[in-house]
Amino acid sequence: MSATAETVTPAGRLNLTRRQVALGLLICAIVMALARPILPEFLVRVPDRAILPYDSFLQSVFDFIKDDLGLRYLTRTISGGLEWLLDVTANLLYGKRRWPNLGPIPWTAITGASVVLGYWLGGWRTALLAGGTFLWTALIGQWKLAMQTMSVIIVAAPLAFMLGLVLGIVAWKYPRFERALRPLLSLLQTLPFFTYLLPAVIFFKVGPPAASVATIFYAIPPMVLMTILGLRKVPDSVVESGHMSGATRWQMLRHVYLPAARTDILVGVNQVIMLCLAMVVLTAFIGMPGLGAKLLSLMNSLKLGRSFEIGVTIVLLAITLDRLSKAWVVKQPEHFARGTPWAKRHIFVLAGLGVFIAFLILAQFVQVADHISRKQDLSMGKEIDGVIKGFLDIDAVQAVTGWLRWFLITWVLIPLRNALLWLPFMTVVLFFMAIGYLVGGWRSALIAGGFFFIVALTGWWDRSMITLYEVSAAVLLASVIGFPLGIAAAQRRGWAQPVLLACDTAQTFPSFIYLIPAIMLFGVNDVAVIFAILIFATVPLTRYTIEGIRAVKPEMLEASDMSGSTRAQKLWHVQLPLALPTMAVGFNQAIMFAFFMVIIAAFIGTQDLGQELQKTLAGNQLGKNFVLGLCVSLMALAINHVIMRWADERKKRLGLS
Amino acid sequence: MKLKIFFAASAVVLSGSMGLAADSSDPIVVPIHNWSSQIVMSNVVGKLFEEIGDNVEYVTTDSQAVYESIRSGDVTLEMEVWEGAFGASFRAALEKGGIVDAGDHNAVTREDWWYPMWTKEACPGLPDWKALNECAAVFATPETGDKGRFLGGPVDWLKHDQERVDALDLNFVVVNAGSAAALWAEVAAAEADKKPVVIFNWTPNFVEAVWPGEFVDFPKWVDGCDKNPSVGPNPNATYDCGNPANGYLKKAAWDGMKDKWPSAYELLQKISFTNAQIAEMAKFVDVDEMEPEDAAAAWLEANEAVWKPWIE
Amino acid sequence: MNRESPVIACKHVWKLFGPSPRKYLASLPADRRFADIQKDGYIAAVRDVSLEINRGEMLVIMGLSGSGKSTLVRCFARLLEITGGEVLVDGQDIMSLTEKQLIELRRRKMGMVFQSFGLLPHRTVLQNVAFPLEMRGQDKHDRRERALEVIKLVGLEGREEYFPRELSGGQQQRVGIARSLAIEPDIWFLDEPFSALDPLIRREMQDEFLRLQNLLQKTIVFITHDFDEALRLADRIAIMKDGAVEQCDTPDKIVLNPATEYVAKFTREIEKSRVVHAASLARPLNGQTPTGKPVAADATMHELARLLVNDTRDSLPVVDAKGLIIGGLDRQEALDLFLGSD
Repeated sequence: MSATAETVTPAGRLNLTRRQVALGLLICAIVMALARPILPEFLVRVPDRAILPYDSFLQSVFDFIKDDLGLRYLTRTISGGLEWLLDVTANLLYGKRRWPNLGPIPWTAITGASVVLGYWLGGWRTALLAGGTFLWTALIGQWKLAMQTMSVIIVAAPLAFMLGLVLGIVAWKYPRFERALRPLLSLLQTLPFFTYLLPAVIFFKVGPPAASVATIFYAIPPMVLMTILGLRKVPDSVVESGHMSGATRWQMLRHVYLPAARTDILVGVNQVIMLCLAMVVLTAFIGMPGLGAKLLSLMNSLKLGRSFEIGVTIVLLAITLDRLSKAWVVKQPEHFARGTPWAKRHIFVLAGLGVFIAFLILAQFVQVADHISRKQDLSMGKEIDGVIKGFLDIDAVQAVTGWLRWFLITWVLIPLRNALLWLPFMTVVLFFMAIGYLVGGWRSALIAGGFFFIVALTGWWDRSMITLYEVSAAVLLASVIGFPLGIAAAQRRGWAQPVLLACDTAQTFPSFIYLIPAIMLFGVNDVAVIFAILIFATVPLTRYTIEGIRAVKPEMLEASDMSGSTRAQKLWHVQLPLALPTMAVGFNQAIMFAFFMVIIAAFIGTQDLGQELQKTLAGNQLGKNFVLGLCVSLMALAINHVIMRWADERKKRLGLS
Repeated sequence: MKLKIFFAASAVVLSGSMGLAADSSDPIVVPIHNWSSQIVMSNVVGKLFEEIGDNVEYVTTDSQAVYESIRSGDVTLEMEVWEGAFGASFRAALEKGGIVDAGDHNAVTREDWWYPMWTKEACPGLPDWKALNECAAVFATPETGDKGRFLGGPVDWLKHDQERVDALDLNFVVVNAGSAAALWAEVAAAEADKKPVVIFNWTPNFVEAVWPGEFVDFPKWVDGCDKNPSVGPNPNATYDCGNPANGYLKKAAWDGMKDKWPSAYELLQKISFTNAQIAEMAKFVDVDEMEPEDAAAAWLEANEAVWKPWIE
Repeated sequence: MNRESPVIACKHVWKLFGPSPRKYLASLPADRRFADIQKDGYIAAVRDVSLEINRGEMLVIMGLSGSGKSTLVRCFARLLEITGGEVLVDGQDIMSLTEKQLIELRRRKMGMVFQSFGLLPHRTVLQNVAFPLEMRGQDKHDRRERALEVIKLVGLEGREEYFPRELSGGQQQRVGIARSLAIEPDIWFLDEPFSALDPLIRREMQDEFLRLQNLLQKTIVFITHDFDEALRLADRIAIMKDGAVEQCDTPDKIVLNPATEYVAKFTREIEKSRVVHAASLARPLNGQTPTGKPVAADATMHELARLLVNDTRDSLPVVDAKGLIIGGLDRQEALDLFLGSD
């Protein structure tokens, strides 16, 4: 670090441009790489004696908190309360033998009520979607599994919502609290999910309580952010009108701020629900029963067809919850003429209740209306297995995947990996400092470079570099696919919608379902890992490219048309430059997704941080788990900072923000 | 105060009159993992507990972390403690206390290098390990160069494959899969064009029913092979031998179980399954595609002679 | 006319935005100008403003955007904390009020209408109008009665159950007006209430507003950037620039005698004859009493145009509402107003 400090001070005094300083840093980085053979060892890798045993430090801190401070008693008490709630929903939804011992509610009753709800929120389309999803779930024989999953979401989502809302309000009210909270939220958003799971298990009871705690933590950040955003966006005139109406502070919050921020808060709710669903599937790893656990055990016995069906159920559930909550966001209150009878005002509540009770009664007499047993379902697992096998048997498929595997491994992946591992760590740190400086001056340089420096200090540098290599290889390949696809889809009227729908679907498919096809196509190796990440990373690239291009104002396009530009000129000189900041956001999200997925890809077999994290889960090594999670998080945050900084600046310059 | 004494007295009378203390009405918590035989076996045992009047509840847990949960009493027992896979976690928990050994199953377990039958066509000398080494080239892949590729289990299973490769000077590179699922996916992909593969596998396992295959015959396991270099063919290295061909399969229980559910604990100690019985349980789920509870019921129905004596 | 104390009096009010405005103000030399202050890193939104507003008077504060007019009115209502000076409402320094007292003041005495309406989107018209009543804890039945009454007053009968988004801009502002009137305030602040509306609607709303004011006779502070609007509505106009009041006077006087070059820029384009009343041109009689048909003091020159051209007298008698002659109107001077003096 001292070397960089020296080159830096004169630069500041000499009034060099940003570009020159960044170039200087970059040259330092390159020189260091070229001089690697003669470089002192401590610049290549942080020497062992400088690496402190952070994991055991942290472990003792955790142990101290857990045992000596007795936090565990507190958390166990909380988990007692949680468990009670979970037991109630579990009893109602799938008949776990707990108070109130009423359940399970027949599937037809839930489906019927959800159709009415769907109709009320968004008309017959959402009604059909909600009804169709539950019907599919029941008919395919996954009702109980789905309800096990739902029983946790029903508890976790409202809790995440409430906690997020309260934190958001406090952060909005007290800027100092917000400044402290923000980095924590960023950290939570980039920590690998393994790092959520282990503390949840240790502090809360294994099974649904731990699963719901991990889920809640995972889902809170967007809720907090949306709450802050929404409250900030409340128009001044609305606030002032509240003051002038003589509202007290509490009245302001209750009657003015929160209702006026309703839309943003509901968007937060939507995100909470989606994240809950994503996480609750992953909590199968810590003993959460339901769709995720079934998926894992099916995959372990290679039942691809039925895993696929579960994947479809999860996607359908996700889309339904998403559409319902989005419909709720845009749903505005309606007015009834004065004197409308009570029954008419509450027609949907009555209809929902009516349908619910009708099916409840019906289910007492007709078994199929109550539950669908194993022999009655319509699962086609075996048939799908056959199709997949058939596909893999096609010679052309084998030839293509075989060639791809050979080509990528020999010419792309191994060289890239070896290069990253060969580089002195200071080169990487300086490289990120250079980019950071270029986009945001010293502060950004210190964040970007500093984060990587900390990673080096933890002693997990090599594994971090392998992780970084997998992420960057996957994102680069994803860019090759995603950008052109997005551009093509944005150009044609009919294309964008189907492509966006495909993106949604690919994204909501439970992430680890991609792992098995990846292995079957490419075998257990890095190509499969990259392929699995690639699917996930292509989605945001495509989506943001489409959205960026479509957000270009029509006047600009008309102006360029009237200037006589060709399609290519219009794309190149008008659409792309204006869409670039949005595309950068997509690129950033692709990298964040890749960091998320690369950890899951440990299930294929990697030598990166994910593999180590997976090990800690089995060994209850909380300290090490946290250090590794931090490495992932810091790399992600450094890159995130650089890209978002650039995008923000660019947007400001284009007057888009 | 008086009330308390009354309760205490009546409790004494009650337990005295029944001879043996009755099992608690709290549910016995049976852990479920992510492989079929364990799920079905746990369901079978759960149903047996219910047969003697206890309440049972199933929780899904991680197969390594479960021993910690047993120690704290969150989970009551574990039906499948594999020597190879979970021996270390189990022993560690045993040392810390809170968990007890509830006896062995009749079944023996084996974990070692394994190949599906079609591999023999490409390497006819199998299952001998020397033959395997000679045709290492047929197992080569782009990432291993001209060396053969052995697909091991996840690193945290600690199988010492690399040590064996070094000790026996095998022409193989060890690649670690990240999960059991990855192993099976590899075999399934290889099946299409009968590509030769050698992977880590174990028995009893559903895989035997789907893809017939054999374990590689390494030099026989001798005690001390893993600690003492002089034991085994290579005098200078440890792990110069195969894994034991008859590892244990244990049951474990929370040490509070025998006081809280004495009858259930007694039953647990009697329970013992054979390899064939375990394979049958797995088959119901893996091949016949039954749900675990249905499979357990089916198994109990077909094997009344086996379990009736246990609950007498 | 008995001299009553003003409803609102502000004395040397300052509002500075910046890092530590109070300290800066204390050290501020008297001759520091707007641009200099800006260089020091502060925005002087309100600069040493002293004004008095009397009971039943309508003061229009006119200025272009950024002139500080909206900030000033917010200082009156203590929506913003002033940096220096004093604001007295009914003789009480509002900066000395506790939060509770301030809330009480707003609940009983003040109403405000906003440029962008400031309606609560999740409440119906009725609920919006009843909002201030609800805040002060009025009984549900009472507040409904009162709200319906004001809604009728602003002509929105039959739309009580509508939500703001279902109304046009003009209707939304009627809701805003109704809400501000619900508590029967003594002081009525209107912050560019009609600026967001189409010109035709704006005109209609101004008429409506004048009708209401004739009915209610409130003390009003009305903000606008539209000089025509100011002339049309005001008893007195305060013209602001860079946070300071350039001139504060009746419309006639401002048009006839703009105090600064800046004010003159506005008056130049104005058809003065439509603004200036006979009263403001009437000269003292000095013993000579003009004869013949008198003109009314509150008639604008525009209304008298035909008479002025056709008449031959040099000076015309001006009479007030009671028929008393208050002065003589110099015909030539009056005609100059149409033709320009040179």
